[in-house]
Amino acid sequence: MHFKELEFTSQPPIDWVAPYAAKAAHSLETLSFPTKKDEDWRFTPLKTLTKHSFQSVNGEAKSVTEEHVQKYRLPESRESTLVLVNGAIREDLSSFSLDSSAITVKKLQEMTPSELEEAGFQSLVPVENDYFSVLHTATLTSGYYLHVHKGAKVEAPIHVLNIQTGGPTPYVSSFRLLIHVEQEAEATLIEEHVSLDDSVYLTIPVMETFVQKKGRLNHLRIQRENKSCFHISRPITSLEGTAEYHSYTIALGAHLFRNEPQIIQTGEEVDFTLDGLILIDGDQISDTHSVMDHRFSHGNSHQLHKVVVHGNAHSVFNGKIFVRQDAQIIDSFQENRNLLLSRDGIVYTKPQLEIFADDVQCSHGATIGDLDPDEVFYLQSRGMTEQKAKEVLTYAFALETIENIEVESVHTFLVDEVKAYTSRNVASRF
Amino acid sequence: MLEIKNLHAIVEGEDIEILKGVNLTVSKGEIHAIMGPNGSGKSTLSKIVAGHPGYEVTEGDIIYDGESILEMDPDERAHAGIFLAFQYPVEVPGVTNMTLLRESYNTIAKSRGREEMDPLEFEDYLKTKLDLVEMNPEFLHRSVNTAFSGGEKKRNEIFQMAVLQPKLSFLDETDSGLDIDALRIVSGGINQIHGDDDAVVMVTHYQRLLEYIVPDVVHVMIDGVIVKTGGKELALELEEKGYDWLENA
Repeated sequence: MHFKELEFTSQPPIDWVAPYAAKAAHSLETLSFPTKKDEDWRFTPLKTLTKHSFQSVNGEAKSVTEEHVQKYRLPESRESTLVLVNGAIREDLSSFSLDSSAITVKKLQEMTPSELEEAGFQSLVPVENDYFSVLHTATLTSGYYLHVHKGAKVEAPIHVLNIQTGGPTPYVSSFRLLIHVEQEAEATLIEEHVSLDDSVYLTIPVMETFVQKKGRLNHLRIQRENKSCFHISRPITSLEGTAEYHSYTIALGAHLFRNEPQIIQTGEEVDFTLDGLILIDGDQISDTHSVMDHRFSHGNSHQLHKVVVHGNAHSVFNGKIFVRQDAQIIDSFQENRNLLLSRDGIVYTKPQLEIFADDVQCSHGATIGDLDPDEVFYLQSRGMTEQKAKEVLTYAFALETIENIEVESVHTFLVDEVKAYTSRNVASRF
Repeated sequence: MLEIKNLHAIVEGEDIEILKGVNLTVSKGEIHAIMGPNGSGKSTLSKIVAGHPGYEVTEGDIIYDGESILEMDPDERAHAGIFLAFQYPVEVPGVTNMTLLRESYNTIAKSRGREEMDPLEFEDYLKTKLDLVEMNPEFLHRSVNTAFSGGEKKRNEIFQMAVLQPKLSFLDETDSGLDIDALRIVSGGINQIHGDDDAVVMVTHYQRLLEYIVPDVVHVMIDGVIVKTGGKELALELEEKGYDWLENA
């Protein structure tokens, strides 16, 4: 089967998702594959994607065992880890024993169509007009529904670990997270994507998240996959009045990473964060197209998106902020800072503010630059070699986005990842 | 200790000459002050001594401890005992004062054949130096110069000087932006750090600092050259008459 330019061999859809998948497959027949002529894909070439021929998988990759998973386990999430392999749920590797009066976890494939609908399945993700969202649904095999009950404060971070492993044939894997944080409930979600080998795959994780009044969700998204894969994700969040959502995306892997987070304010007095740190080198492409949509009055939003580019890597940022006509007293901050460490790296940045209300404070800024020679000199004059000084400054640039991460084990491995990136790259240019 | 001979320098890649034949000799145990109007090249001189890569020496030499340092990188000069207190100290978010100082102290110690210190030992050592500039120990765990007031940044420079124990210190406009209390603290610190074995060169626009730190030698720099050298009384004369009489001389 061809989905336009994307060559793709599909498996028959699994029962639960069959009606959705059939509809999606039908939509794909008329949807055009994104090209550089589409404004949203102008700077992000997909030719490395279309040169592969993909197969869908819905197997569980039984070869993956505890031995492989061990090093990714977080001590803070000993009783709250959900493991997927190639997008398929692996109960034998998961360990989830949190109090079910506070949080319940269901497999999407075990829910009835009416339960799915009631939980908001397919209500946030575009079902017709966005190529990769539709492809996601057409290739979807499984997913989780996480439901944090009213007033529950879930202390242990919930670790959703998606492991990829494949063979010589490129494959597609998609999974869905459906999340409800009820009134006055609080939880932390760590969504992590890793690969065990260098196989080529296309993963399209989609999240539909609903946070109700006075609810709060902290969401860490960590993408540290191999540099051959394609990762196109759409985390979409709907916030009721007085809800809070704080999201931190840290992405180091993938040949092509395209992230399209979207936050929609559906009531007054919300507070949300959409921070990101992207570290890329070689021939990696990283593209963040975000939407922060203030539809009601009294909203605070904060977006700090930091990118470090080395080698021939290529970064795109398009940050849309909408403030609708009736959305007064909005305070929105957006900053995109790019550290371009090589001559051949490329950075595109485009803040896009569309403001229709008048009582609004919106600040935005974008910078692209090399390390400041005065800063390098300062550290050298304190005895550090030039290389060490540059490493320290690159590290410091990156650190700002991760220093607020409260889950200690995650903070620790991210610091190690940043250090590995800086020591690998800083030496090779200067 | 330091001998600068007929030093000419330009901004890297440009044709504008900023230093036009500077001569300066500093001996062990001395305190010098270089005064001059804005744009005279006095800050540039201190950056060039510390090895700033943004300037190119086109003529002349800088001899330190008997050897030319022109080919040395800034870190090698730091290892050899040269220190620059910056006019605008740089913020390094994510790196604590403690981390920076330990890294600096140990690399410098190593290159000078001194013992390195372990973290606990080092923290004790730092605490003794904090008192010199009346700084709170919690400050060691803050990121370098991040969210520091102007005065705190300047005090931090002098604190670093106290910790690293350089042999030759250039203090670039250390007094600018300090209120009277901070100026008293900073200059008190410098007076305690300075001894018979090291030399201090203060670069300053105003005479004010020299009420607290008494120089042995005062130089006036105008348009890239030192036009006059004298004793501490020269500073008072400048205070009274300004720089005009020397510019026109």
